[in-house]
Amino acid sequence: MLISDIKSRPVYERLSVDASGRRHLVLSDAPRPLADVIDGAEAAQAPLAYWYVASTSAVDGKPSAAPDAAGEASNYAPHETRAFRAIPHVMDRLSHRLARESVGLRLYVIGEEGFVWDVVRLAREAGMEESECRTAHAGSLRRKVFCVHCKTITHNVTTSLATCEGCGASLVVRDHFSRGLSAFMGVQADAEVPGELPPVEEMFP
Amino acid sequence: MTIQFKPDETFRDDFSYANSDAAVLRFPFPFPEDAYMYSVNIEPHVPGGPSPAFDNPFDVDEHYVAECRERAKVLEQDPSRCKVLPHMMAAEWDTLELIMESFATSYPEHFTLTREGTAWTWENRPLGIRDSFIFGDASTLPLPPFEYITRQAQGDFTLQDQRDDNLFIDGGMVTTQADWSLDFDVGMSFHQWHGPVPLAHQKGVFDRALKFLLRLQYGAPVRRLNWTLTVNPRLDTSPENYPQWGPDRTTLTPENIAGTLHLRVELQSLFRLPRSNAILFGIRCYLCSIEDLARVEIWGKRLHRVLRDLHPEIADYKGTTRYRDMAVAWLSRFDDGAELPVGTAPRQTSLPPKR
Amino acid sequence: MSQPTVALRVTAAVPLSPLLKGFTFEPADGGRVAPSGPGAHLRLFLKPGDRVHKNAYSLISNPEDRSHASIIVRRTADSKGGSAFLHEGVREGDVIEAGLPANLFPVARTARRHLMVSGGIGVTPFLAYIAAFEAAGTPWELHHFCRADEAGVFEALLAPYPASRIHIHAGPVFGGLDEVLARQPLGTHFYTCGPAVMMDAALELARALGWPRARLHSESFGGAGEGGMPFIAVLRRSNLEIAVGAETTLLDAIEAAGVDAPCLCRGGACGQCLTEVAEGEPEHRDHFLDAEERASGRVIMTCVSRARTARLVLEL
Repeated sequence: MLISDIKSRPVYERLSVDASGRRHLVLSDAPRPLADVIDGAEAAQAPLAYWYVASTSAVDGKPSAAPDAAGEASNYAPHETRAFRAIPHVMDRLSHRLARESVGLRLYVIGEEGFVWDVVRLAREAGMEESECRTAHAGSLRRKVFCVHCKTITHNVTTSLATCEGCGASLVVRDHFSRGLSAFMGVQADAEVPGELPPVEEMFP
Repeated sequence: MTIQFKPDETFRDDFSYANSDAAVLRFPFPFPEDAYMYSVNIEPHVPGGPSPAFDNPFDVDEHYVAECRERAKVLEQDPSRCKVLPHMMAAEWDTLELIMESFATSYPEHFTLTREGTAWTWENRPLGIRDSFIFGDASTLPLPPFEYITRQAQGDFTLQDQRDDNLFIDGGMVTTQADWSLDFDVGMSFHQWHGPVPLAHQKGVFDRALKFLLRLQYGAPVRRLNWTLTVNPRLDTSPENYPQWGPDRTTLTPENIAGTLHLRVELQSLFRLPRSNAILFGIRCYLCSIEDLARVEIWGKRLHRVLRDLHPEIADYKGTTRYRDMAVAWLSRFDDGAELPVGTAPRQTSLPPKR
Repeated sequence: MSQPTVALRVTAAVPLSPLLKGFTFEPADGGRVAPSGPGAHLRLFLKPGDRVHKNAYSLISNPEDRSHASIIVRRTADSKGGSAFLHEGVREGDVIEAGLPANLFPVARTARRHLMVSGGIGVTPFLAYIAAFEAAGTPWELHHFCRADEAGVFEALLAPYPASRIHIHAGPVFGGLDEVLARQPLGTHFYTCGPAVMMDAALELARALGWPRARLHSESFGGAGEGGMPFIAVLRRSNLEIAVGAETTLLDAIEAAGVDAPCLCRGGACGQCLTEVAEGEPEHRDHFLDAEERASGRVIMTCVSRARTARLVLEL
């Protein structure tokens, strides 16, 4: 049932600034130097903001023009850098901004797959087009898995088989990916012969 | 001609579904040649061809009432089998208009559509339905227009929105599917929702099919056939209920395979919808046991050859791995190896008695 | 594959201005016209003389009851016969052959807001758009550019709709859109229809302001295929050699020779007229073929494209 090379699975490339944008917003789910995240930020002709998740209550999401996130010296001068306490914190701030934005914005998202596609979905719901959002993967490959039988999403799956947190089924993780759910499809592995399971492999570290 | 419906046959539990001899002879057999591989096998959906199943835009047969009842059972358990995104309302009305007009024209003895401006009355006598409503005003129908009419039709339907040179599966009624999930796939682009199909991507089949479909015109629908195998005459082989039907695959024996294993053919039709510019995709499912198929001489021989020589990846994708050899062994008794004509017509007008 | 046609009876032919005339049609055999949606056009098969003109006109309304179809026709100065014939040769009660409606300019159903820019008679598809947006309660905004002496005609056509959404710019100047394009909320789609020069300017401005291709929609009224070096087209299957003059299109020349060639949009967009090239080098002017197909030189869209070589041999 596990079929590789499935076209619904996203293909990621390194981020680069889309010169046609009038405003740029870069989002990262971890503190990363901006130069590591995206090419062309230095030469960007339009305002660029960099928002990242610091995973600490010590930050407050306030804009600063200070050098970038990891505290390294940088020649880049984004117009704005903000550090957020957690992913929900940045998502909340993002929906507020998108509601006031106008056509011309470009969004760049980097992080784990679940974060990336949650942001893209939020952007789509705010009226953005897919071509206005660029995505890149960084960090763990762990997956969210949607149980096709009971509709529960099981988080942080790193193995080829996962136990559904909803119905307890042993799910084989298909490579079929839904951008709407930010999740891969999980299908019961032993439906034909209960108990007959393939070996569990660490697949998505 | 009045169709003799078989309202009480079932597609679950005791599986009382069966084809009459006439239904076997009109089966849309999908293999014109001895070998099978994916291709863009699209042709104009015009009346005529090797099977009477092609004679109307939407085919209604002896299983109509029973299939509508089966659909209602699935929806009662799992309403997410019917989903339409909000921007598809014009396509919902397009679908209702197309199916009602087609049914009333093709089968006037069973369906009647009366129109006075936008005041419509729809009569579906086989299902005992009579409703008056205002076309374009969803509040005057007991259900949303797409769900209302596709509950009264055989086969699955999906709605594709066309934008940005792509098609997006933005709605559907999917209760008789061959192992794909509307709830998971809804909103996906053309290549995304076809993602799990092996080999066809590499062959460029989907690139060419998409390019063709983007140009599909109102008034010029097209069709193609697809197929798989299903154990028992079960319509709902959804991934959702795989724990319920998966074990069927282990129940086959050389003694019961002929009556239990069914060739499942999808008559897929594609219509450009005029008001919404969306595309309606009809996936009409026909089931026939390999025992009945082998009563048509050239079908028995050809099915044997196709299954025997099937590409392993396709065989695996279609879920046949556990029983393909057994099916090939049973069918081999009919195949003398003689050369067969190209085409799918049965080339006989009656069937020998069952063995 | 030839498309089905229907016979339409002219039930009204009303002059709106010296150059604009509105026509309403009903099916000649009673019954209903084919359903259509905003942005759809109707192709009329006009026969003023020996040859058939297949002219496409935007439907200005898509009534749910399918009781009629309406268009507005501008009499063009350089008319090849179609619009002049409609203005002067067609009267109420006449029957005209037409194709089924087709839509090459559909509304983006996922948009939350619609911004339209039209020039002159290019407003016609937007009359159907606006009716649909009003019915659905979707926000919209129209900027219409027209000659000063025709402003009253367009004001009258738009009178049923909220004046706050309509901006009519009468006079020769095209401008003032920068601020409009810069302030549109994220879910907005942009549509333009009118003279090619105006559409190009509007699209160029939108792109410069950061609008991606997915949000930009334009309808072309064709004409791109005329003008260029004359050449000889050899229709191999029909066993014909025809001269394609400097001022005619390849498709027109094929049709004038009596060959029934596939076509729909006649503007290089829909892909219907794709024809195989056996010999010679095409000069591609369409928006349909991809880079690889263009480079191959083995296919051509006959409605707009021409030849770089003196002879072009086609599989027709």
